[in-house]
Amino acid sequence: MFDEKPKTFQVDARRRLLVLGGGITLLFSALTSRLFYLQLLKSGTFRDMADDNRISLQLLSASRGRIFDRNGVLLVENLPDYQLVAIPELASQHLRRSPRDRSGLARLLESLKPLLQLDDKEIQTVLKQASRQRAFLPLTVKTHLTWEEVSLIETRIHELPGVTIEVQPQRYYRTATLASHAIGYLGEVTAKDQARFQDIDFRPGDLLGKSGVERAMESKLRGMDGLREIEVNAYGRQVRELRRTPPRPGQDIALTLDMDLQQEAERALAESSGGTGAMVIMRPHSGELLVMASQPSYNPNQFVNGFLPDEWRQLTQDPNRPLTNKAIQGQYPPGSTFKMVVVFAALRLGKLSEHDTFYCPGYTTRQGHRFYCWRLHGHGTVNLTQAISQSCDVFFYELAERIGIDAIHQQALRMGLGTLTGIALEGERAGLIPSRAWKRSTHKAGWYPGETLITAIGQGYTLSTPMQLAVMISAIANGGAVYRPFLVKPEQAPLAVTPGQKPGPAGITPLWHNHFRPEHVALIHTGLEEVVHGVLGTARTAKLNGVRMAGKTGTSQVARHRRTQSGSVLKTTNRRLMDHAMFVAYAPAQQPEIAVAVIVEHGGGGGTNAAPVAKRVMDLYFAKQRGETVPVPHLPGNNPIIPNPDDELAEEPPDEVDSNP
Amino acid sequence: MRPALTPHNPVTEPPIHPADPEQKNRNPVEGVLSVDGSTTLGWKERWQRFPWSLIFLLTLTSLLGLVVLYSAAGSHLTQPDSNNTQYLLRQAGRFALGLVLLFAVAVLGNERIYRRYAYLAYGFSLVLLIAVFLFGSISMGARRWLDIGFMRLQPSELMKVTMVLAVARYYHDRTVVAGFGLRDLAIPLLLIICPVVLILKQPDLGTAMIIATVGMVVIVIAGLSWKMITVSFALLAAALPVAWNAMHDYQRLRVYTLFFPEKDPLGSGYHIIQSKIAVGSGGFLGKGFLNGSQSHLDFLPERHTDFIFSVLAEEWGFVGCVVLLILYLLITARGLLIAATAQHRFGLLTAVGFIALFSFQVIINIGMVIGLLPVVGIPLPLISYGGSSMITLLFSMGLIAHVAIYSKQYRKTIT
Repeated sequence: MFDEKPKTFQVDARRRLLVLGGGITLLFSALTSRLFYLQLLKSGTFRDMADDNRISLQLLSASRGRIFDRNGVLLVENLPDYQLVAIPELASQHLRRSPRDRSGLARLLESLKPLLQLDDKEIQTVLKQASRQRAFLPLTVKTHLTWEEVSLIETRIHELPGVTIEVQPQRYYRTATLASHAIGYLGEVTAKDQARFQDIDFRPGDLLGKSGVERAMESKLRGMDGLREIEVNAYGRQVRELRRTPPRPGQDIALTLDMDLQQEAERALAESSGGTGAMVIMRPHSGELLVMASQPSYNPNQFVNGFLPDEWRQLTQDPNRPLTNKAIQGQYPPGSTFKMVVVFAALRLGKLSEHDTFYCPGYTTRQGHRFYCWRLHGHGTVNLTQAISQSCDVFFYELAERIGIDAIHQQALRMGLGTLTGIALEGERAGLIPSRAWKRSTHKAGWYPGETLITAIGQGYTLSTPMQLAVMISAIANGGAVYRPFLVKPEQAPLAVTPGQKPGPAGITPLWHNHFRPEHVALIHTGLEEVVHGVLGTARTAKLNGVRMAGKTGTSQVARHRRTQSGSVLKTTNRRLMDHAMFVAYAPAQQPEIAVAVIVEHGGGGGTNAAPVAKRVMDLYFAKQRGETVPVPHLPGNNPIIPNPDDELAEEPPDEVDSNP
Repeated sequence: MRPALTPHNPVTEPPIHPADPEQKNRNPVEGVLSVDGSTTLGWKERWQRFPWSLIFLLTLTSLLGLVVLYSAAGSHLTQPDSNNTQYLLRQAGRFALGLVLLFAVAVLGNERIYRRYAYLAYGFSLVLLIAVFLFGSISMGARRWLDIGFMRLQPSELMKVTMVLAVARYYHDRTVVAGFGLRDLAIPLLLIICPVVLILKQPDLGTAMIIATVGMVVIVIAGLSWKMITVSFALLAAALPVAWNAMHDYQRLRVYTLFFPEKDPLGSGYHIIQSKIAVGSGGFLGKGFLNGSQSHLDFLPERHTDFIFSVLAEEWGFVGCVVLLILYLLITARGLLIAATAQHRFGLLTAVGFIALFSFQVIINIGMVIGLLPVVGIPLPLISYGGSSMITLLFSMGLIAHVAIYSKQYRKTIT
């Protein structure tokens, strides 16, 4: 048929075939140019995307540095925390169910329920978490397993498909409440913390030091996290490890604190008349702290495991403020321990000499107002040494009037009061030393002459922390140098002090130096020694065993004393209104090795209540120096069972008890 | 090639036809071997006229496919015990089987027989499609397969081939002077629309689109008037916005995500995004054999079937892709050349239909893998793992080879 018009057919078909072939070629070129775009122009982008797909980064957490005391006693370590981990996929496989089926996990949890005392709420939480993640990823069912639970699980492990016991390091404070304010605790990272450490990349939920040395030494204690690059498949399952940067563990640090002394200090405070308070022992020639105690204290292990709402309320609302480090955050009127400041101010101005005397009838009157001496019947005629040793208030009233408030203010600042000591701990308070300028700016009022009198005996507006008092008494002991207190051993400076040898500052320079004149120091020193060793000394009951000590008592008024018609003080039965007992001292008197500041809150008179606390700890110090064995067994042993915090709190004295009848 | 195609070449001497020893029909141009002559070629001539270059190209492409399949089928990373050698052997076996079928169809077959049974084969396929519609087995949300005891049959694969045969058969004895008009279109359009509707119901949009397009190509090549072609395109262009406006919102959304899968990165878009990452990250030279992370870490879906091209692209890069595209283009060109020299219209139209089928599948599959076209389930010819597509493809190539043997152009120097 097509023989009739063969040419037309052939030629026409060939033309159409040419169009078809051209069309196909065009489409192929479109494919090629698309491939050119994807594989040559955009290949970098897609290569990155492919790497993002396949490479997953895992952090290997670095272990945190341990903390030791000055003698190498381990205080803080990382203990293994046993956790029960389940892999839902394996639990389901055991039941021959599909990996996506969660019934295997539900059945597993049901069989774990009696072994671990899980309640339904916990099981629901775990199941909910399981529904959010891949079935082959491990799922933490319970943390903080006890040994009994671990062994129970281990013996039945073959009945529990997909269950493993995993170990995570957990911070453990071996000494529990001991030195807890100095050591501090850990907490979860916040935005503020992230701002503090620009160079560290925190992950949500990371722990870091929140107070004490844990906070101050964060960058040293914290190691550098390692990194694991693993290749994963589309479902996130690990295929192989590509690269591993091992973590760099944090560095151990050693404190300058001596745990024997620290423990003795905390016990002495707890057993004192007030039951609460603070104590600092410092090396006067360096600022090195041997003791920094604050009572009551808390157990940092509680922060590791988390608080129940009740426990937290109890801790934060306790009127004795266990979370406060009273050694640097407690501000108290320094009382008579302030009197040395007045003496140094007067001596420096040349307005007081060794032979000056004042007459003390028990009070002095200014503008018709009576300023009492603590001794109702007065001290009679007293010179400087007697005034210090017997703490005659009238002597200092008169002296203060002679030199004026500004001289006192200036001298107090020079001796480290009213200003931060600069210790590397968070939350230190500066105390307060009043002056005319200060009163004008804060009270909008002029300075009354009577206020100079009460400032001279460390009352009125005056406030200082136990740490500041320790710095002040150290400055007196060392001839005028003000050191910055520290409690972490510097890396290479040998700070050990041998008895009898003048303690060398070993590269530590004072913040500033008053360069007291030796005759002035000697004058005051005589008075301070008389406080302890004089017949009428206010701390004569607190003599040390075999070592001479120089010290000064203080009794700082909390509330205005109510007096009878004859002027004698009415004793209060309200503990909150009772006086704070203070004591500052250094020993041995001739070659001071340690300087001490103690406050017993609401303890009553300083001589009878604070000085014995200091004596207990200082006796222990010198006993240790002499190489005598320490009688007290100390530090809870290597026992991972954490003490029950309720027991600790129960020992606290009740609030409203007259502890010093 | 050009001088060989010119009918009057004084240099070349056509061989003596066994059915025409006196050489009355010496002139090879005007259908000497047509109608009844096809059966009369001797074995030696069939051997000599056999389009070896086509077979060579098909084998080369398949070998390349086997290499890619070896990598795609298993993963030495995630499944160290995976049996990719077995995949390789099975696919190679299918190719060998298909090649035998190809030779049988090309050498032993007879164009008259193919022509005679074209409608019957079409009818049989249609019955199978209806059977699928009524009691086909469902897999992955689509009803595409017939379970016939020992194997699963996919009648739409069969339909691709038989539809081409039927339409070619229809136009074989229609005279064409100035191109077909509307009247000559009715039956072929019916032949196309019936299976397309049935396949759309499965649903298998990709195959339906291929059958419709290839059917139209055959009609156009058969001699649809240029006026008709222009009018059809104009009508289609006019109909699109009308249809778009008539659609419901959810239908529009479906069409939209079909063409822009990136807007749905977790659903249908996930596959195409991963595929583009695989292709793009291959770069110029690729990541190397067995080194594609996208393929071996399970990011690529269907990587040994529909998305096998992305494995090639990832491991062999732009160079590998271009090599494969060139091979495909050469096969297409060779097929079109055979069509151009066909003695009969039936031969011409089947060859064109099969070549169109082949190259459109290539274009749609690769276009889908590299994110140019919507994701539809079309395998990559000769490369994707799968029995029915390999067998039907080589069967259709066998018919093309048959057309080549009995073409007007039979000089062994050319073949």
